[in-house]
Amino acid sequence: MLTNEHIDYIIKDLNYRGIVADDIQDELIDHVCSSVEEQMNGGEKFIDAYSKILKSFGHTNGLREIQKKSIQVENQKTKNMIKNYLTIAWRNFRKQSFYSFINVAGLAVGIAACLVIVLFIIDELSYDSYNTKANRIYRVNEEIKFGGNHIKLCVSGAPTANALQQDYPEIEAAVRFRGYGSYLVKPANGTQNIKEQNVIWTDSTFFKIFSVKVLEGNPITALKEPASIAISKRMAQKYFPGKSALGESLILDNKYNAKITAVYEDIPRASHFHFDILIAQVGDWPAAKEAQSQTFLSENFNTYLLLKEGANARALEKKFPGFLKKYFGPQIASALGSEFTMEKFLATGNKWELTLTALKDIHLHSDLTGEFEPNGNITYVYLFGIIAAFILAIACINFMNLSTARSSNRAKEVGVRKVMGSLRSHLVRQFLTESVLVTLLSFIIAIGLAYLLLPYFNDLALKQLELPLTSPVFYLTLIGSLLLIGLMAGVYPSFFLSAFKPVNVLKGHVALGMKSGFIRSALVVFQFVISIFLIIGAITVNRQLNFIQNKKLGFEKNQVIIIHDAYALRPFPNVQAFKTEVLKVPGVANGTISGFLPVNSDRNNNTYWKEGNQPTPNNLVSLQSWSVDTDYIETMGMKIKIGRGFSKEFISDSSAVILNEAAIPMFSLGENPIGQKISTFNGNRPDGSPDPKQLKSWTIIGVIENFHFSTMKEGITPLGLLLNKSDGNVSFKFNSANTNEVIQSIEKVWKQLAPGQPFQYSFLDEDFGRMYTTEQRLAKIFFTFAGLAIIIACLGLFALTAFTAEQRTKEIGIRKVLGASVGGIVVLLSKEFGKLILISFALAAPLAWYAVNWWLKSYTYKVEIGIPVYLLAGIGAFIVAWLTMSYQSMKAALSNPVNSLRSE
Amino acid sequence: MTHSSELLKGTLQTIVLKVLKDHGKTYGYEITQRVKELSDGSIVLTEGALYPTLHKLEAEGLLKTERVLIGKRVRKYYVLTPLGKSEARERVIEFVDFIKTMSTVLQVQMS
Repeated sequence: MLTNEHIDYIIKDLNYRGIVADDIQDELIDHVCSSVEEQMNGGEKFIDAYSKILKSFGHTNGLREIQKKSIQVENQKTKNMIKNYLTIAWRNFRKQSFYSFINVAGLAVGIAACLVIVLFIIDELSYDSYNTKANRIYRVNEEIKFGGNHIKLCVSGAPTANALQQDYPEIEAAVRFRGYGSYLVKPANGTQNIKEQNVIWTDSTFFKIFSVKVLEGNPITALKEPASIAISKRMAQKYFPGKSALGESLILDNKYNAKITAVYEDIPRASHFHFDILIAQVGDWPAAKEAQSQTFLSENFNTYLLLKEGANARALEKKFPGFLKKYFGPQIASALGSEFTMEKFLATGNKWELTLTALKDIHLHSDLTGEFEPNGNITYVYLFGIIAAFILAIACINFMNLSTARSSNRAKEVGVRKVMGSLRSHLVRQFLTESVLVTLLSFIIAIGLAYLLLPYFNDLALKQLELPLTSPVFYLTLIGSLLLIGLMAGVYPSFFLSAFKPVNVLKGHVALGMKSGFIRSALVVFQFVISIFLIIGAITVNRQLNFIQNKKLGFEKNQVIIIHDAYALRPFPNVQAFKTEVLKVPGVANGTISGFLPVNSDRNNNTYWKEGNQPTPNNLVSLQSWSVDTDYIETMGMKIKIGRGFSKEFISDSSAVILNEAAIPMFSLGENPIGQKISTFNGNRPDGSPDPKQLKSWTIIGVIENFHFSTMKEGITPLGLLLNKSDGNVSFKFNSANTNEVIQSIEKVWKQLAPGQPFQYSFLDEDFGRMYTTEQRLAKIFFTFAGLAIIIACLGLFALTAFTAEQRTKEIGIRKVLGASVGGIVVLLSKEFGKLILISFALAAPLAWYAVNWWLKSYTYKVEIGIPVYLLAGIGAFIVAWLTMSYQSMKAALSNPVNSLRSE
Repeated sequence: MTHSSELLKGTLQTIVLKVLKDHGKTYGYEITQRVKELSDGSIVLTEGALYPTLHKLEAEGLLKTERVLIGKRVRKYYVLTPLGKSEARERVIEFVDFIKTMSTVLQVQMS
């Protein structure tokens, strides 16, 4: 029998003979033991049996041969190769945990930011694509230029749709929309009115053109009858919870009793309109009558065409000049006098054009007068795309820089591997595996980060973005970009490292790490150029927004409360009573009844000319005419420049007008415009065109200082105030510190006078701010991502200085021993990167200057961005970078030279 | 008499597979013993040839292994995988064919 001592002996002896590979070792021991045992059973002594067996194996050489063959078999498995790559990658990752952390953190943040931005861009690009016929749907725009007026509309006259369809067979269908703002809505048997914003008058072809699914009712017959409406599912659930809304009735604005003929699926979020109630444009309600009007010159209808398959929109557009001449020409001529012809009008440099905008272009490319909702902007899509690319580039550069910088630590590894027979391709593969692994880890963290941060981004950008976690396309894209980024970030380091010559490396000759600094320096410069550029951009956007918010507007926007939908108080005298009652509330100083406000509100644009002149395209002025009451100017805090405001004492004020300064030169009124008159058409002929015999003149009694009534992107256009009834809103100026008390008092009065009507209010300054929400959102998003870019860049710099300091430990030690001061060493270490940041600044400044000017160009009123801003950005970047570096430099400078010099 | 190792070379895998198929779980030393028994001592598998063959078959997925601790040593058992079983059958059929062909080529009558 084999004793334990025998077995131990065999194990030791085999080990001594070089059998060490785990697997084969066990196996051979077992084999040898078994056969020795058998020999011993046959009566042999252990030592004889063992030597006999060894002989049958071929002694040491035979044993080793078996081991070698087995290992070869093992090594031929590709699985093992990959396992080896992974093991080494993981060991390196752990050994260099600080640098690995910087790499992964930077890359993860970069990728998360990128992911969020890409989702945002995809969402912006997907607008209106829910329409299956989207490629054939076009909107009709009108552009008119005459005298000093330039008008770009996305609305046209009521008969345009019909006439186009008649004349051009390539048009399959057309639909028009006419908006009248919000409506007060209640079910037929209800008492409580609710205000609805998304109400529109439209044609029955709506469902044929847009792919809005009808849930109840027949899409073909819906909206064909007078007084019929279609409502969204949201509305149906709101007004008729738990039952079918089809066949029920809603009462609009307390006067229109409309029957529901269809309920449709809510219009998708990614649409340039979100109508909840569609009202049929047939019958004899005033808006329906307007839809049947024959005048082409009253542009109030958003008109959409559905072209036939294969029809060419650009070819159709080319036919429109003929269309204008045929239909518009005669109507203009009869209004202005017989000598008008379209040819002459156009020949004198004027413009009257119909154009088509493809449905899918509306959201990002269209910003005309008459849009349903504020649209997106392709500039932002580009801007954010660029930022995403920048952030990703910065993160990748970190990765590349750190990998190559640390190459010195791995140069020996590369040398040994090459000596042992590694080919360059093996090394490249090894390093690429490492970078792909790091990228993979970053991606996983990035998805987690993006998931956590999306809600905040959605708040910021007013979006409802989600990670498409169930979509296979999403994962495919992720894997694709993972490989791409992994390879991109890894390619340079891997080729750089694998190119080392083993002899040089092993002799310690390779100028390690810092020497190959040119590319690395260039990359650092690139990172900081981007960072400084983004800082300047962010400061500019912020300054411009502050400038707008604080600019002298020409009216007082603070402490003015606006009560909306005052028409709910009708008949008219009630609104007067309301105003009188509210003025009794302590703290309320002034009040005015008018739907027209210097923020987004009612607008009314008409053409006027100086009285006595024959109206011609050259002396017509497109004038905003606002109906206001006698207290308007005082409540809004506007300033009268010449003349006087409206007064109850002058009965003749009912035909008086107050112009703004901008209007005076347009009418060529000379030095003193007071007492002069301007005229306008005051009636239509039966065919709907303006009647040259029915004119009305207004006497100018005053001139007010210019005030801003649209965004600062536009200049101040001519405007006139008329004394007229307009009960859209009532605004009050109050000077009480207790705003809540004022609101409560006003609400009490409202409830008494308008029971059952919703009490809606806002403040003028907030409404004003809302005109700039897009810009404010842009600024915030811009700041966030610019900040991210800088953080990632600094993270890289932090690691890079840490590395330099580490490399120069001995140098620092010697310098200290020889008497260098801590300060001197810090300067020494910071100098190199300081130079790079200076270069970055020199490159970034002109770039930023160009970009800033380009962006500000779209504003008529813009802030001066002076040299201080640039300096601020440069110094800011420098300080942040310096603080990052100084931590490492200080650490290196303060360390005791004994520690760094003792060991060799 | 023992056969030359040149002749054995091409049939080693077939022998190992067949032994494993007939005897189920087996370890290296046992395989050599089996073959010795079956051939009445005329075929002796050398360890130098056996183990690389076993490892190769394992790498190809025809075998799998189990480790059992026996006293102070570890014994590694080999078992056929389902793939290995069908492979064993095919190899035997192939070899019988080969012998038939050889008998015609060499013009000898098989008993």
